[in-house]
Amino acid sequence: MHLPDGFLSPQLTLPAFAVAAPLCAWAARRRFGPSGAEALPVLGTLTALAFVIQTIVIPVPGGTSTHLVGVTLLALLYDPLTAFVCEALVLVLQAVFFGAGGVTVLGVNALALGLLGPLCGWLVFKLIRPLGERVAAFLAAWVAMQASTAAVVGVLWLQRLLDPAYFPMEPAVMAAGMLLPSLTVAGLLEGGYTLLALSLLRKANLRGLDRPTA
Amino acid sequence: MRVLALVVALAAPRSVPVVALAALLAVPVVALAALLAVPVVVQAHEVLHEVRPGGAVALKAFEPGGEVLADAPYQVWSPADPGSPWQTGRTDRAGWLSFVPAVPGSWRVKVVEASGHGLDVLIDTATPAPPPAPAGDPGAAFVLRPLLGALLIGALFGGLVLLYRKKARR
Repeated sequence: MHLPDGFLSPQLTLPAFAVAAPLCAWAARRRFGPSGAEALPVLGTLTALAFVIQTIVIPVPGGTSTHLVGVTLLALLYDPLTAFVCEALVLVLQAVFFGAGGVTVLGVNALALGLLGPLCGWLVFKLIRPLGERVAAFLAAWVAMQASTAAVVGVLWLQRLLDPAYFPMEPAVMAAGMLLPSLTVAGLLEGGYTLLALSLLRKANLRGLDRPTA
Repeated sequence: MRVLALVVALAAPRSVPVVALAALLAVPVVALAALLAVPVVVQAHEVLHEVRPGGAVALKAFEPGGEVLADAPYQVWSPADPGSPWQTGRTDRAGWLSFVPAVPGSWRVKVVEASGHGLDVLIDTATPAPPPAPAGDPGAAFVLRPLLGALLIGALFGGLVLLYRKKARR
């Protein structure tokens, strides 16, 4: 789902960098400082897990594919800013070392997948949690996936309005091509993964879990 | 031509200029003679073709898992005119596209898929292409990439933990 290089013009990538980079640096200082050292092993493990599940390509009917994001779990366990920093790290590693996702679009990808999605999921989780944590976790992850996908669709649509040479796909085709897999396959799997991982982590009661990182 | 003029003069009414009629009848005769003499003219509506093996650049777009980007829109830009696409089209069912570089240099190829996936690469046609590499093993990439990524993240977080512990001891 994360965008490659060449799909967005500097008109969009530069403002996204201007927002994402300072926010990520500020959040990293606050959430990953010495006072949050106890949570780092769990955070590192869950970030590595998010990296792994993002590399697993899930074929979708219609000849395309999708993948999970996996950082909504971090937003539910800690907060959306922690998820944002972890997802930004995953995206940087993927783009720089493995060529998956673009370098110029890192700001857009980080804001869409790392901040907006987990933030929406976290809000849903807070709202529905009284009804039951499991249902809330599943729905939160599903909503987070839709929010991230909708953000990417919105950015591409905006790019087409600004300069269609960067992304020539028809908006209706692109929206259907991205939202349908997200609403069905990716959203449900993300919900299932988050629910399963959250249940296992609650049972394991690991040190540093559920503790504010800073 | 004299015979033709004589025939026309005998057959035509007196009011019609003999020379004009002779010229009018001479046109199809001359045209037919030209057609027979120059066969190329007959082929004016035919589309010719030229086969140049090895003259084209072929590119296959596929995802790390091996899924090809079939029937995906693509654009090709010439280094001589980066402002407007040199060629547009759709990849075939196996994810391939091809173009013939008219000038040497870096040709830009962009493949876009509806799912937001795609690629935007520069292909240098000035240098001779290396021999085709053996097909990569998707299974190896499937295992190596997540493994390396997880190791990098583990090293980063582990380094932070060690650093903070060292600071705490001081």
